[in-house]
Amino acid sequence: MDRRPGRPPANVRTLARSGSLYFILAGCSILFLAPVVWMISASLQDQQGVFATPYAWIPEAPRWDNYATVTTMFPFWRYVGNTLIITISVTVGTLLSCSLVAYGFARLRFPGRNLLFALCLSTMMLPGQVTMIPLYVMFARVGWVDTFLPLIVPSLFGTPFYIFLLRQFFLTIPREFDEAALLDGAGHLRIYWSIVLPLARPALATVALFTFVGAWNDFFGPLIYINSPENATLTLGLNMLKAQIAGTGVVEWQVLMAGALLVMLPNVVVFLLAQRHFVKGLAIGGLRG
Amino acid sequence: MRWRTPQRWLVPGLCLLLMGCDGREMEVERTVDISYNCAANAAEIRALEEEIPSFTARTGIRIVLNPFTGQEKLYAMIAADQAPDIFYTNTIIRDRFAAEGRILNLQEVARSDSFLLRLLPGIVEEGSAADGGWYSLSNWSYTCGIYYDRDAFRAAGLPLPDTAWTWREMRRAARKLTRDMNGDGTPDRYGIYIPSHFVEALEVMNGAQVGRGALCVSIPDASADVYGKYIALMEDGLMPDLRRMQALGMQPMQMLQNGRVAMLVEAVPHQGLFEMKGVDLGIAPLPRFGNRPPRYFRSGSGGLSISSSTDHPREAWEALKWIVGSASIFQPNPVLADRDFVAGWEQRYPHLAETGFREVWELSLLHNGGDARFFVRFSSWTAPAVLERLQPKLDQLWSRQITVADLREAVPQMNHNVGRALHDALGQENLLPAFRTVINRQLEEFTRGACD
Amino acid sequence: MRGAHGLPRLRGLTGYAFIAPWLIGFVLLTLGPMIASVALSFTSWTMLSPPNWVGIDNFNRIIADDPLFLKSLWNTGFYVVLAVPLTVGLGLFLAFLLNQPLRGIAFFRTVFFLPSVTNMVAVSVLWLWVFNPEFGLLNRALSLAGVDGPLWLQSEAWAKPSLILMSLWGVGGTMMIFLAALQGIPQELYEAAELDGAGEYRKFLHVTLPMISPALFFSIVIGIIGSFQVFTQAFVMTGTVQPGSEGGPNNATLFYVLYLYKKAFQEFEMGYASALAWILFFIVLVFTVMQTRFARRWVHYEGGDR
Repeated sequence: MDRRPGRPPANVRTLARSGSLYFILAGCSILFLAPVVWMISASLQDQQGVFATPYAWIPEAPRWDNYATVTTMFPFWRYVGNTLIITISVTVGTLLSCSLVAYGFARLRFPGRNLLFALCLSTMMLPGQVTMIPLYVMFARVGWVDTFLPLIVPSLFGTPFYIFLLRQFFLTIPREFDEAALLDGAGHLRIYWSIVLPLARPALATVALFTFVGAWNDFFGPLIYINSPENATLTLGLNMLKAQIAGTGVVEWQVLMAGALLVMLPNVVVFLLAQRHFVKGLAIGGLRG
Repeated sequence: MRWRTPQRWLVPGLCLLLMGCDGREMEVERTVDISYNCAANAAEIRALEEEIPSFTARTGIRIVLNPFTGQEKLYAMIAADQAPDIFYTNTIIRDRFAAEGRILNLQEVARSDSFLLRLLPGIVEEGSAADGGWYSLSNWSYTCGIYYDRDAFRAAGLPLPDTAWTWREMRRAARKLTRDMNGDGTPDRYGIYIPSHFVEALEVMNGAQVGRGALCVSIPDASADVYGKYIALMEDGLMPDLRRMQALGMQPMQMLQNGRVAMLVEAVPHQGLFEMKGVDLGIAPLPRFGNRPPRYFRSGSGGLSISSSTDHPREAWEALKWIVGSASIFQPNPVLADRDFVAGWEQRYPHLAETGFREVWELSLLHNGGDARFFVRFSSWTAPAVLERLQPKLDQLWSRQITVADLREAVPQMNHNVGRALHDALGQENLLPAFRTVINRQLEEFTRGACD
Repeated sequence: MRGAHGLPRLRGLTGYAFIAPWLIGFVLLTLGPMIASVALSFTSWTMLSPPNWVGIDNFNRIIADDPLFLKSLWNTGFYVVLAVPLTVGLGLFLAFLLNQPLRGIAFFRTVFFLPSVTNMVAVSVLWLWVFNPEFGLLNRALSLAGVDGPLWLQSEAWAKPSLILMSLWGVGGTMMIFLAALQGIPQELYEAAELDGAGEYRKFLHVTLPMISPALFFSIVIGIIGSFQVFTQAFVMTGTVQPGSEGGPNNATLFYVLYLYKKAFQEFEMGYASALAWILFFIVLVFTVMQTRFARRWVHYEGGDR
């Protein structure tokens, strides 16, 4: 972590400041973590314990086997494989396509640029429920239903949300670098690849993170396009834990919570990896002068 | 000389015969795929997947599971001509789909199949659409009853409910069972809880003439009476506030187990309640109203239908029969008459034998009042338009923001879109003639003032 | 700057080349369904029969004869007006906290981001419990403070705030965007400001805010577009009570897209739903255009939006 240079070393003041910051952070953390702690607690309960009053936060006999049960309730590892394939493809595809398009909107001038960008944004404004059926029929006609293709291919063409995000970030990068490279005879593709992309690392890391998490947790995509249980993803698998058994009224909530925590783990790992790219002010500060 | 002719045909004839034998064998080897839009429940899918292979080996029909993930998915598949062969339909969907030729008339597929003899009387009628055809086979059926805590009754010095008990007797018991132990003003145990979706069962018990296929909302006196009595339960402190219970209401057994209520109206059978530990469970039928003859609720709205775009209707019918009649996860199936449904459950849960489950079940069969739930009660073509306005009003009624009189006054407003709905229905191109006649008749009824 | 411009014709082409992926995808995947839904909004379509042309009948009915349209619009407006400022504000606040050079800051970052990576299926179940009036976290915490908590999801007054609260829990995403933006502010700017004698507050106002204004603009626009389309939480959380209850107590959580969904998939009125969708489209478009116009005054792009 960087320290702020040039600050008068007032130890007491810094200490008090850190102390109060920690206090606020801890307070907010408790609010954010409480439901997650409850999730963990619920995942270790048995069928009756989940709703017992008084509720036992740490059950007497923690049911660690709930986690194992999750892997047997549906083809867990197969779904992990399916979800990984989809998620990694989507992440790579989105990063490449969205950064290209965002560069175009941010850096280049061409007739109708603003109009096209507005069009790009406006596609986000129409609720998906009404375009869902024509889109499904289209994919059905080419035989892509019940495959991963309808989930992966659209990401190769860019997502307005990330295009917008990256455009905003690219616009904050000073043009001097570009112009220097142009003077040296570099083409836009080189500028994009060697200058703008490295400078936008925090933004790219953010996009990668969001895309991964979004695709990993995606519910409606697989819901609509996947039919057979063999091709399903983890989110669909979790959903299958939520429905009742043949009208009996019995749902195993504790297994569902265990499942949700398991499914959450890769996202946390990816987050920790992406965090390393959040290095403060490194690139821009270093290249100046 | 005369031998020649038959001889000429002998060899080709033999060949054909042999080929015919081969052909039949090949048909059994070539498996037919039937896709079944099953519930998206992991345990159910697993159980089915275990049993399907033996079914396939026997019949050559492979049931491909296609978990149901939502209404929009089903419509998308239908729009793309890729509907699953077997899927679930409720009353509203069944009529609409049948009217546009999307599901098969099961009578034509089943013909004189002996399976029909195994069904409880009335099952075929339950699955009928407005033109009288049979379009869905119910795959489950239940009644409702009162689950109660026998210890609580005994502790309060109350006799256990008998099958002919009345509303008044129930109220008296509820009054005695409601108690406030810690003296903070709110009872910590209420006498009874009746979820609002069982109020319709009480309407039928009270003799309200609310059958199937009603065009619009009407609130006969018998219904208004019941609504008043239901609200009175809350106002007299015998039943907890409805919204509060709905906010709590994920597990009905918790309410009994924790002693929040002493009596609870719920579906019979209910596996969760049967498995509940720690409470001496009793099951009683719904109380009668005065000396009116009892009419018990029996659900009859949903079932499995066969898509008309299926390539193999006969095989689909075989699969359907297997799912309802043989798949062990659905057994004992209440729609079958040849199995002792109650005995099947008593085998799994021996304590049921003393609860009164059998009496409740058999009474519901004897005095079958049918399914008068709101989303089943109206004509499929007017139901959405009516329910959209009815449900918020009922919400306000149960939370006591309006009175029953207000509700009755609001009836014309609730029926506002009925005419338009019927016109829209007639405008559909693919409407089958039999249904067009039915809807035309409904429209005539409406214009003659049936809803005024 | 002789070589920087090149031939104008070529510059235009390069631009199109870069945005080609989106453009192609738009034409292939988005344009068709969008045009289809425009056409559908002038029809009555049950999805079982071919669509029936009805002209502007749908729009007439929406504007003149549909109390639930107004109710759902009100519900959605309420949600947008509260959720967007709260989410952006909280995200910014947390990003500031996390941008401090403290030890163990990575732990706190994970904590705040964690909720936003949980699966929607589990989140909805979890929050149904949190909001449970008897054994839910919220009411139990409130009772410790001596306050009698409301019914949350089943209370007409508190149903929408409950959903807003739930969405705030997932603020981790917005927070990360602001964090990335804060990370991108060059140190020199702060140093220069300090040399000019600026204190904390002035530094914030004249260095930090302008430098993160692109991200701020982004979050607000996306927040508004997204909040107007709020659907899933209401559908799942208030829909589990009984069939037909997705609108919540007296339709308190009947949001616009939820109403649209019910019309399309429960009431067989896909044409009407398409009309509803396009009305929403124009409402959101108007808001976004207003945002963009206003943005010229306060959004600062270091790279220049030439």
